[in-house]
Amino acid sequence: MAKDSEGKAGLYRRALLAGLWRENPTFRLLIGMCPPLAVTTAVKPALTMGISVIFVLVCSNLVTSLMRNLLKPHLRIIMFTLNIATFVTICDLYLRAYLPDMSEILGAYVPLIIVNCIIIFRAEVCASKCGPIVSILDAIGTGSGFTMALCILAGIREILAKGQFFGIQIMPGGFVPWLAMQMPVGAFVTLGLLLGLISAVTRKKEA
Amino acid sequence: MSKIKHFIEQSWLLIAASFCFGLLIAVTDAALSPKIRENKATKLNQLTVFLLPEAKRFVELDAEIEVKLAGGKKERVKVYKALSDANECVGWSFNVSGQGFADKIELVVAVDKGFEKIAGFNVLTSNETPGFGDQIKSSNFRDQFVGAPAEKLTLVRTGDNRKIDSEIVSITGATVSSEAVVGIINTFLIQIKDHIQQKGLIGNGKG
Repeated sequence: MAKDSEGKAGLYRRALLAGLWRENPTFRLLIGMCPPLAVTTAVKPALTMGISVIFVLVCSNLVTSLMRNLLKPHLRIIMFTLNIATFVTICDLYLRAYLPDMSEILGAYVPLIIVNCIIIFRAEVCASKCGPIVSILDAIGTGSGFTMALCILAGIREILAKGQFFGIQIMPGGFVPWLAMQMPVGAFVTLGLLLGLISAVTRKKEA
Repeated sequence: MSKIKHFIEQSWLLIAASFCFGLLIAVTDAALSPKIRENKATKLNQLTVFLLPEAKRFVELDAEIEVKLAGGKKERVKVYKALSDANECVGWSFNVSGQGFADKIELVVAVDKGFEKIAGFNVLTSNETPGFGDQIKSSNFRDQFVGAPAEKLTLVRTGDNRKIDSEIVSITGATVSSEAVVGIINTFLIQIKDHIQQKGLIGNGKG
């Protein structure tokens, strides 16, 4: 009995922690790369996008998990899409009502969460095969890993492009902003360097 | 009969889920749309005051103005008279919309009291491509309209965008969005001007 509860606790812990680092969607699996490149000009929109993705992931994983025994194999993708589109629409409406500035900055990228492959990937790999608790923990872990990646990228770009972090000036007066970091090229360069650094550290650890 | 039975067996979950998700979106929309409308009205007011800084209040014209769109459709437009502290007309404003590259673009346009010059425009909603089409919001593009004659504007690909006349220089890489903005302003501005002139609200020292 004790072994069983330990097994369950281990399963829950793995579901929660895997997405944070070992299966981090941005840094390790390189999926859902549109928001990391597009909405990381500052930390505030990146955090808003991350929280939106967590909300959609949790809701879609929960619903997919609850209906997993009823899903027909050939209809599962359309069911996932329908499910994801519903929660993205709700999230978009909520942002437009209560965070209109952020909604405007994120623009089309909130509705585009519908086609973000992280969410459909977790629905297919985890939620359609596991129970609700594991699915929710997996969604929280993966979503938090994604949010963390967005915030790291956005933090670096915001500091270098504006000398600010979370809208607060942190660089000294003589700092010359790197405007290129504000542009798409800044996103590609920062992401590339970070991926290189992470790959080097991971290989060293594994060796 | 067996075909219908097979169809229902295969698709009942999809039909039921569509109904439930649709209902969920409808309920959320009904709950949040008053707040979204309120946000939009506040933004409209702020943007219009920015275009007509002397305006202290806006009075909606009683008469509804109908504008003919391409394809023969008609659209009713609300026109607002901007009044100063001394209750004198300082300009006119109206919010108009048309198809952009990605989605509908909504603009607020302001003109001077005699409907002779454009006071400027601001973007109320747009989902144009970030980095390209969304540059219709940039001051480089918008400033070309400030002081331009309130007549048919022409979009040109190259030219001096600091020169204020009826020629508007297109945004590089966003010709469709630039054309959409000029097209929307041309369609509505000229017809609204004609209607207001016919009603005797401008000209002969009025306005």
